[in-house]
Amino acid sequence: MRNEELDQMVEKSFRKEPDFYLPANFAQKVTFSLVRREQWKTDLHEYLYLTGVLFSLLAVVSGFYYFVDKEFVLKTITFVSENILPVTLILFLLNFIFFADKVLLRLLFSRWNRT
Amino acid sequence: MNDAELIAQILSGNMNAFTFLVNRYQKLVVHITGRLIQRQDELEDVCQEVFMKVYQNLGKYRNECKLSTWIATIAYNTSINYLRKFKKVDEVNPDDSAALRNLTEYKSDDFEKADLHRYIREQIENLPVQYRTVLTLFHLEEFSYQEIEQITGMPEGTIKSYLFRAKALLKEKLKFVVDENSLKLVKEITHEE
Repeated sequence: MRNEELDQMVEKSFRKEPDFYLPANFAQKVTFSLVRREQWKTDLHEYLYLTGVLFSLLAVVSGFYYFVDKEFVLKTITFVSENILPVTLILFLLNFIFFADKVLLRLLFSRWNRT
Repeated sequence: MNDAELIAQILSGNMNAFTFLVNRYQKLVVHITGRLIQRQDELEDVCQEVFMKVYQNLGKYRNECKLSTWIATIAYNTSINYLRKFKKVDEVNPDDSAALRNLTEYKSDDFEKADLHRYIREQIENLPVQYRTVLTLFHLEEFSYQEIEQITGMPEGTIKSYLFRAKALLKEKLKFVVDENSLKLVKEITHEE
């Protein structure tokens, strides 16, 4: 009898739910995080795509212009190589502004909206 | 809405359908994850990670198994990875002798003062992780042996053996502390449920 009672009790206790719980709005929170993550990915892809297009366009135009005004293109290349540091810094700054506009600010705004 | 319709809705970009899916399966995930990691403070993050993986891999889901089995597999793997990453390896590898060592820590005198319900629950939580996993999947979530095999990758024989040994371990623990007088309390509890 004792063994049967124990058996029954053990079986019942196995079917009891453990004492772990999630907040009531868990599903909404997960969906929100997911939307934000997907948005971040989309924004980043868009930024990389646009940057790629911009640089490709610049390369194509420069190549094409080389045949139109070879001297100007060579002068420009010389200017860039002589002022590599400021040119790089300006390019970096412009690129960062573009990145902030396309990705960073959107991410920050979505975080602020959440809070 | 059945699972197939739900998946189709999510894949077409309906995020409300995803919220619906999370609501439908969060209990399953919290049972598996909670029993495995046993940390309430980390539970939400791990469960969130599980559902993120569900969303990311939903396109790869084929109707070879039930959606609940597939989600349970993700929950199990995520929890095991969490344990491997943040806890001792001993927690992932079952060790009967360790579980039995805990048994001797409880004395009859202590038991009389303790709440039996809580005691049994504590004993389940003290079982090795693989035991807790198969117990939760089989008894609480009512998965079949084949489904548990699919979820955990353990052979059917091992699952049966874990179930049997978990029950035997728990019974041993209870026999150790429950005397004839306390059995009345046991009866009351069994009948009131």
